[in-house]
Amino acid sequence: MTPRHVLDGYRVLDFTQYLAGPAATNLMVQLGAEVIKLEIGPHGEPVRNFPYCRDGRSGYFIQQNRGKQSLCLDPKHPEGLDLIKRLLRHCDVFIENFAPGVVGRLGLGWDVVRKINPNIVMCSISAFGQEGPLAEHPGFDYIAQAYAAVTDLIGEPDRPPSLPMLAFGDVGTGVHALTAIGYALLDRERNGAGGQWLDISLLDTYFHHHEVSVQAWSASGGKIVPHRSGSHHYAVGPSGIFKARDGDGHLMILALLHQWPILCRTMGREDLIEDPKFRDNDARMAHREAMIAIIEGWLRTLPSTAAALELLEKARIPCAPILSVPEAMAHPHMIERRTVRTIEDRLLGKLQIPGMPLRFSKYEVDEDIQAPLLGEHNAEILKRLLLCPPEQVRDWESRKVLFAKPV
Amino acid sequence: MQQHIMEGYRILDFTQFLAGPTTTRLLAEMGAEVIKVELAPAGDPTHLLPHRRAGRSGYYIQQNRGKKSVCVDIRNPKGLNLIKELVKSCDVLLENFSPGAIARLGLGREVVQALKPDLIMCSISAFGQTGPLAELPGFDYIAMAVSGVMDMIGDPDQPPYFPMLGIGDVSAGVHALAAINAALLHRYKTGRGQYIDISLLDSYFHSHEINVQAYSGSKGKIQPRRSGHHHYAAAPLGLFKCRDGYLFMVVMARQWQPLCKAMGRDDLVDNPNYDTNLKRVERRLEIVAIIEDWLRDYDRDEALRILQDMHVPVAPVLSVPEAMEHPHLIERQVVRTIHDRGYGDLQIPGIPLRFSEFPQPLDLQAPYLGEHNREIFTRFAGLSAAQVDALQAEGVLHAEPLPEGIASVASA
Repeated sequence: MTPRHVLDGYRVLDFTQYLAGPAATNLMVQLGAEVIKLEIGPHGEPVRNFPYCRDGRSGYFIQQNRGKQSLCLDPKHPEGLDLIKRLLRHCDVFIENFAPGVVGRLGLGWDVVRKINPNIVMCSISAFGQEGPLAEHPGFDYIAQAYAAVTDLIGEPDRPPSLPMLAFGDVGTGVHALTAIGYALLDRERNGAGGQWLDISLLDTYFHHHEVSVQAWSASGGKIVPHRSGSHHYAVGPSGIFKARDGDGHLMILALLHQWPILCRTMGREDLIEDPKFRDNDARMAHREAMIAIIEGWLRTLPSTAAALELLEKARIPCAPILSVPEAMAHPHMIERRTVRTIEDRLLGKLQIPGMPLRFSKYEVDEDIQAPLLGEHNAEILKRLLLCPPEQVRDWESRKVLFAKPV
Repeated sequence: MQQHIMEGYRILDFTQFLAGPTTTRLLAEMGAEVIKVELAPAGDPTHLLPHRRAGRSGYYIQQNRGKKSVCVDIRNPKGLNLIKELVKSCDVLLENFSPGAIARLGLGREVVQALKPDLIMCSISAFGQTGPLAELPGFDYIAMAVSGVMDMIGDPDQPPYFPMLGIGDVSAGVHALAAINAALLHRYKTGRGQYIDISLLDSYFHSHEINVQAYSGSKGKIQPRRSGHHHYAAAPLGLFKCRDGYLFMVVMARQWQPLCKAMGRDDLVDNPNYDTNLKRVERRLEIVAIIEDWLRDYDRDEALRILQDMHVPVAPVLSVPEAMEHPHLIERQVVRTIHDRGYGDLQIPGIPLRFSEFPQPLDLQAPYLGEHNREIFTRFAGLSAAQVDALQAEGVLHAEPLPEGIASVASA
């Protein structure tokens, strides 16, 4: 049989909720894996109510959970726990993102899981990691972001830092988890290595993004102090966010060091090329405010931001409009590449969500997949994998071992 | 014994700057043999980035430990032929030039796949290999601006900010790492290679967990917007000023009571002005004032302990130096100290992927430019050491001399 995608044939038991874990399994589904989403009854995944909701259906839930199968149970009920343990024998991957220690207390720690299935790859996702002084603290994306010294690098130097209105830490952690799981599977297949346990955290992920700051502070013996720098870079320039004509927004200009003369010519200001105040990067940093004023003065003389971008692009100076989310969603490049895509949910209807960021030449992403209803696949999964007859599933549902919400 | 997960895989790495080198850095940390092809004579431009000491860049070291450097004039047909020989011995080829550039160099997808049919080739770019923006020069912040991410950072009535770190480059690098892995798994099972197209724009846009579906689902009623220091949809959720710094706090329904108690303001618990999230969002300026009024008498770390004791999700907003000294980051080696042969000791971020079977980091060194010319081309291109030397004399290959007292880590 021809595989549908690269992870075709792998089965994942997904005990995650909210965002970081579901982001990992969301990608796994789109890579062709079978994902069984374990939800805790009676209400299931908490984001089933997150905005935007229409007719009781959450767009947030749909975006992260398309193509997964829902099995809703009470893991504290001995029979519910037993079902999870039996399913573990049939899965390649077990992934969870509870606070450290919680799955252990449920009776599903790595020491138990590896005995049930020595070939399983277990991945635990948490805010701070499975051990260490902070491990037990409650954690969310922004909490780990603050500890990782990322928040401190966003905003004006003389004002409080600023919060990004999106959770790139959670999504990034999900992608880190995906890579670790995949490499552990590769190790298992190629080297017969058996399973192993992966410890992935938001803090590790955020800290991993410091490309300059950590080594620069360390190596300079504290002389280079990383700091937030508002809308313009503190070390190179012109590099920042410039104000266009009134009411016409802002644009990003990142001139490379050798492009200063090109920018001057583009502005019709050849006189500035050799001006000692701007001649090299050090001089421009010393006269940063004057430089910004000159560039913004030039931008005000142009009829529009689009006209400015056209001139800068022609000169091959890296630049961009700062698009709002709706503008980005309407941009022809995003649409042509399906960076934003429209899906159709059975209940909510048409909905736009971000596209699949991993693009393979051999396979298309299967767009004909649906986010599950709560407990929708109870009977199907238990029959197929554990050979449980339908009447037993109904019995479990009546005794609140299993849960399902009718449409 | 197997040292780490990727032992036995060989990667031909044409990448420079940050996004691609992030991918191959993690591959090297996982035990793969990474051959970094540097363009003669200067090599990866980050050799010159700060902070530098003894002719070595800390930036370059951080991203390139454990890789083997060959430095080649690829525009010289002899150099190109040497590279083609290497392609035949590699499992993965990774590049992050502008779209089209690698094909113009004579190493396009069709060429390399003909040389090695089960090769996995991965391209990383700002906007992707196709589409109206594909040809534009792009860097991290450029893709960030176009993705609608930058617009979500800052005060609503002020210009947006950009973070002083390369989130998009590192993130695209990890996306590439995930895709390469899945393709390797697939090749292991089917014997087939393929081509992977990764972009910064895709990676940034992928991070919109709420904004895209909320705008779409609400038919534009929900307008995603930047919101300064406090969230627009939950309260209190944001940054709060203490005597000597800032705290970040997330207060959901269950944490409102413990927060009030921590502040000694039991009277607020059942105050009908604040008893739901919706009301708190509407009155969030009042709430911020109440909390900051309380915090005025406390240092950040004192207030942190009080709030932690009440199990309120809270964090100090650490500066980079503070984070690097935090006991949790040190104990888990989120920040670690490495020793470079030329540069000396240096702190860099740790390995974010933690495998139970391979708990020990490998002992890795960043290469000197062209340090592995001889090893790689004798092993994989059938040259003798004398032939490599001759090509170096001719300028087809280039190698910087190792400083006095520095031993090579090349194995031939």
